[in-house]
Amino acid sequence: MSRNFIISITNFFNNLERLFLPNFGPPPSLAYLVHQQHSPRTNSSQKLSLKNLLGDGVLWAVPKHRRSVEKRLNRKFGYPEYVWKPLREKKNLRPCQQCGHDHELGVLCPHCYDKVRQETQLMQDKIQSQLGLEPIEQEVIVLYAGETAEQATDAISGKRIIEMKKPRPMWFTKNLLQKSTQQSSETKEVKPSDLA
Amino acid sequence: MHKVIRQMAQLTLQTPLLATAPATSVAKLLAVPPAITQNVDCCGVHTASTGGLCAKWNKHNYGPRKWLEYNKTVHPPQESQDEEPRKAYVCHMRTNIKYSPDKMWYIAAFVRGMSVDEALKQLNFVLKKGATDVRETILEAQQMAVERHNVEYKSNLWIAESFVGKGRVFKGMRRHARGRFGRVEYKHCHYFLRLEEGEPPQHYYLPEPQTPQQQLEQWLEQMRSRKVISSL
Repeated sequence: MSRNFIISITNFFNNLERLFLPNFGPPPSLAYLVHQQHSPRTNSSQKLSLKNLLGDGVLWAVPKHRRSVEKRLNRKFGYPEYVWKPLREKKNLRPCQQCGHDHELGVLCPHCYDKVRQETQLMQDKIQSQLGLEPIEQEVIVLYAGETAEQATDAISGKRIIEMKKPRPMWFTKNLLQKSTQQSSETKEVKPSDLA
Repeated sequence: MHKVIRQMAQLTLQTPLLATAPATSVAKLLAVPPAITQNVDCCGVHTASTGGLCAKWNKHNYGPRKWLEYNKTVHPPQESQDEEPRKAYVCHMRTNIKYSPDKMWYIAAFVRGMSVDEALKQLNFVLKKGATDVRETILEAQQMAVERHNVEYKSNLWIAESFVGKGRVFKGMRRHARGRFGRVEYKHCHYFLRLEEGEPPQHYYLPEPQTPQQQLEQWLEQMRSRKVISSL
């Protein structure tokens, strides 16, 4: 890798020499011959150090002027209306009524959400361990410790029952899984007006 | 605070009776076991618990220690009861946090002059890596204040000083295209905190912004103090 690096730098210098030929001096081929004559002599004297190879290149990507204090402050603070870099106090934080932790207005309380998410994860793990990851065609009913299926027909109609071996969390009422907006219909007839 | 330290040193030299006072207070400090043990090891180093520079394998790098000396000062008793009681304070720090000091400065400046409850609430919603370290430091300092520094209510504290210092910097290399190499700096920072008892001030930075009434008074004063030079 260092060899490639050295080669690329030396190539660059060789190409640079062409720019410094005023009044169309000797053609590049002759220039190379001239260069090659000197090379056996100068190779030993020329050390393959970074400073010799790059020369003034060490000063290529370097600041030209001192950054004024205005520029520094602009970078540090930004601009009030557009990009204000210092942090701004959030005034839309409220305590959650259920758990007491703070949350942003209009956003679910992260603590309560995390609680629900963990319970959901447990349910999902149990379902996956029992039923696998196949697509579920029948409804799945999750029962907690000490609960039985409400209707005897559930077991008969083929609804899969998952039993969680833990007590039901206080906040997870059975109402939550009821469909409140649309009642599931029992008839299989579809009126012409209801098509698509 | 420097004056207080010098005063106390003089007192200990002159009066042998008071020489026992700082010793007992220091002994008390050492006797009380630290509540949060993750950042205080046997050497009393307040290094960040996570990261390459944590105390587990970096016991020789102590970082700054002068800041915590302020906690050990024993102030002379106040002369009269009419005098306002001296506000309790606690200095705390966390060293060698794996975060850039320039980026940590924004969080330190944000928290300055806030009450402790407000600061903790706001820091929960700051989406920066350093916010967790600052929040933990504030909680530790609050606990220390209540247990060791005679603060009655843990909510009655405000952040008097909050600033950042440069920590250890490790240099490394990364490769770019075309056989070029770039320099990478792995920066660490120290975070210093001082909690003071009482209500936070309305304006932390001076000069305070003037009310219209104050502005008018100042303008009138300026106008009236004008003088016609070289007059009779």
